[in-house]
Amino acid sequence: MRPAAQTLPAAARPARPASVKRLLVPLAPWALPVFLIVAWQIASRTGVLSSRILPEPLAVGRAFYDLAASGELWTHLRVSLWRAAAGFGLGAALGLALGLLNGSSRRAATLLDTTVQMVRNIPALALIPLVILWFGIDEAAKLFLLSVGVFFPIYLNTFHGIRAVDAGLIEMARSYGLSGWPLYRDVILPGALPSILVGVRFSLGLVWVLLIVAETISAQAGIGYMTMNAREFLQTDVVLVGVLLYALLGKAADLAARALERRFLRWNPAYR
Amino acid sequence: MPIPTHAARGAHLNLRGLSKRYGGRTVLDAVNLKIEPGEFVAVVGRSGCGKSTLLRAIAGLELPDAGSVKIGGADDSGRDPEVRMMFQGARLLPWKTVLQNVALGLADGGKRARAALDSVGLLDRAGDWPAALSGGQRQRVALARALVHEPQLLLLDEPLGALDALTRIEMQRLIEALWTARGFTAVLVTHDVQEAVALADRILLVEHGRLALDLDVNLLRPRLRGESSFAAMEGRVLARVLDLNQAA
Repeated sequence: MRPAAQTLPAAARPARPASVKRLLVPLAPWALPVFLIVAWQIASRTGVLSSRILPEPLAVGRAFYDLAASGELWTHLRVSLWRAAAGFGLGAALGLALGLLNGSSRRAATLLDTTVQMVRNIPALALIPLVILWFGIDEAAKLFLLSVGVFFPIYLNTFHGIRAVDAGLIEMARSYGLSGWPLYRDVILPGALPSILVGVRFSLGLVWVLLIVAETISAQAGIGYMTMNAREFLQTDVVLVGVLLYALLGKAADLAARALERRFLRWNPAYR
Repeated sequence: MPIPTHAARGAHLNLRGLSKRYGGRTVLDAVNLKIEPGEFVAVVGRSGCGKSTLLRAIAGLELPDAGSVKIGGADDSGRDPEVRMMFQGARLLPWKTVLQNVALGLADGGKRARAALDSVGLLDRAGDWPAALSGGQRQRVALARALVHEPQLLLLDEPLGALDALTRIEMQRLIEALWTARGFTAVLVTHDVQEAVALADRILLVEHGRLALDLDVNLLRPRLRGESSFAAMEGRVLARVLDLNQAA
């Protein structure tokens, strides 16, 4: 008869306590950025990284603090946020409306879609000289650029979302007496929503990229203006503050988009 | 012919000269059919024989090229009878809870939906999303959704085809129990001859666009699969469907 095993199998060894794991897991994605920042700081202090190329993180932090304390940061931030919000709002509203229209009505699509596709292929940024000619160099030009850039992803995804709603579900709903607005509200719009939210998420990221460029068209305030100004005075730490702000704002927008998805797409196991 | 016990609560159906063509192909060829109130009729046939088209024409989801479909209410009140359909997939709206799905199309919803959900035994899942349910459970929800409107005609388009064998038998028992209790007229399209023999008063075979067989099933309910009379009936219908008796 074989003697009973003396050693414990691997699975029975005591695992790390769950509380430690719960602390470490959310911190894991931050390990690399933190490491990079620390390495950067060390490289700057030891002189390996010249301050003309890249100022040390502490200098950037100090510039951040100074700008915030003097109130300059908030002014620029507010102006940039307003531009982004207005541009996004306008572009998204138009994209949504036209996408819903062309997606739902074959006749509208036949009339309008080809034109929209032709305009789409003109890069928004290549229109800048024309935009300056038409709108001058004040806010209207920036608003136009932002709206046009935001419009197309939302239009395309809304159009596709409406067209791609499961025809079987529409047939079922019709046979259960739904039509007109109740059908739209209960079947078509919710069915298109995952696709629409993809468009929203894409545009929320895009608006910051376009904002950077738009703010170089002779602005008087805004993060882009602050950054350009700092560049001219060789204040690289302020330039980095600007870059950092754009990154943070982009991240915040993405978080907002994800929150929207989690709220409106709760029913879909893929989005939990 | 077995006398329907609840004739007053089922619609009667009259198809005359019903024809449907797809492209050059004739799918239904001048079909004439009368179904009495409260009857349970099964339509069998090979894949692509036109049985689903027949059902969809009755449901009004397909427009016939010729002929007419008349559905009359049992009480002759002049009101159009309620007709509801169960599809091959449950076709539940994924963004609504189970209870909200059952209440689809109801003006007041709430209580009647809960009662219908209870009658299929899923009241405890009322707040779940359809994605959390199994295939059989989803079809039960679809059944509750169809029944909450108290239809006089229930059309079933192979609703149990995608379920496993045991779930299928349980669903058949459930459908039979609800039909016995409520007395609606039922038309079931199925490829499963055993299912047809288990549930139906009358079996129709669609072949080449025509009704090739119209057989009364005189077995007493509850029908037991192991019994010789059941097996004999099943064998007979299957042989006819597969054309086994014809010389090659």
